[in-house]
Amino acid sequence: MNTNGNLYTIVYTAIIVVVVAGLLAAAAVFLKPSQQANIKAETISQMLQAAQFETDGLNNAQKLDKYAEEIDHAFTIDAKGAKIKDLGVSRDNIELVDGLKAQNYAIAGKSGFVLELPVYVFKNGVSIIPCYGAGLWGPVWGYIAIEADGTTIKGTYFDHDSETAGLGARIKDDPAFRGQFVGKKIAWSSKPQFEIIKGGAPEGQENAIDAISGATITSEGLDKAINTWLQAYEPYFSSIIKAEEE
Amino acid sequence: MKLKDTFLTPIFKSNPITVLVLGVCSALAVTVTLKGALVMALSVTVVTGLGNWVLSLLRKGIPNRVRIIVQLVVVAMLVILVDQVLKSMEATFPVAKQLSVYIGLIITNCIVMGRIEAFALGNKPFPSLVDGLANGLGYGLILIIVAFFRELLGSGTLFGYQVMPAGYITNNLVILPPFALILIGCIIWVHRALDKELQEK
Repeated sequence: MNTNGNLYTIVYTAIIVVVVAGLLAAAAVFLKPSQQANIKAETISQMLQAAQFETDGLNNAQKLDKYAEEIDHAFTIDAKGAKIKDLGVSRDNIELVDGLKAQNYAIAGKSGFVLELPVYVFKNGVSIIPCYGAGLWGPVWGYIAIEADGTTIKGTYFDHDSETAGLGARIKDDPAFRGQFVGKKIAWSSKPQFEIIKGGAPEGQENAIDAISGATITSEGLDKAINTWLQAYEPYFSSIIKAEEE
Repeated sequence: MKLKDTFLTPIFKSNPITVLVLGVCSALAVTVTLKGALVMALSVTVVTGLGNWVLSLLRKGIPNRVRIIVQLVVVAMLVILVDQVLKSMEATFPVAKQLSVYIGLIITNCIVMGRIEAFALGNKPFPSLVDGLANGLGYGLILIIVAFFRELLGSGTLFGYQVMPAGYITNNLVILPPFALILIGCIIWVHRALDKELQEK
């Protein structure tokens, strides 16, 4: 058979492409549930770590158990800080707001995106809010745990898509970087509300930490991500602080 | 060529990285931690092995003019499958995330297409499978050696466990890609010193 003819070539490539596409589609459908379960468990584990709960050595199911045990309630808010709806927090129905990227667009005011910011409140009064922005090579995002007083940071957890290992990736891998946030205060009324400063926070400034040397763009990106999202949450937390003072 | 030689030659005598100098880019990128290097080595081994096998099975029917495209389609499929499987398993999910784009970039690894062109299209399926696996392992061997030194000196850990004494100051140079290049250079040097056949007159 002539394997170099035009018709043969076209039919052959068509068959190969269809078979490959079919296999990939089947794999994607088949593997999607387990991939999403992994992502969900990871998100939950990151929120727990931001709130200073221990998740080392827990498997996916145990992470979900731990979350269901510690969480009190969760809900979404709009731009004015008013509650939109509740999110499920029971073990069988854990609801999270996926798509931080879409929310990031909504904060930026891009048309077609509806602002629906999540707040997760643990039984010890700690609230978790996410943040999302651009690093050097790809997105950076994370979770900020805020104490019941609405200003003190309980802890943070940051993640990234493709920051340089050993440099930008330290926002995730370096406990010392994360540790700097603990006990800092968010200055809700000032702008920026929180700062990541090269060379470290000046003495007495409570809303700043030291940037990562060798990872300037990642540090700046994270700084911007945090401030953009804090700005969006400002109405909600201001009202909490006000309510507490009265 | 005997099957044993088909298997052993790519691992030592004509190692893809140290002798053929293929796949160096990824060797610089994924060797910061041993875990990442190990997963990358296994992924590449699976892709080179299965890629060689599938294309050896198809070799008589592939139209010569679109040969490279057919190879590319098959290899791309295998790489996507490996990526999807890594992301779906609880044990490999964190590593897959850490390797991020580099799993997808296996498709650009010259070893994969190189072995298909050079070996699989001219040999029977089983020897091709062995050749593919052996090339993947030869690549993986160097990756593991490089990652061992980089993780030990750069992070003071091995597989994430602290092995250097407390107070060890981690070396940032080791974490950056240039050091991997220096290490690979040293490995090539040792390899050539041991194997006289590799030395040019």
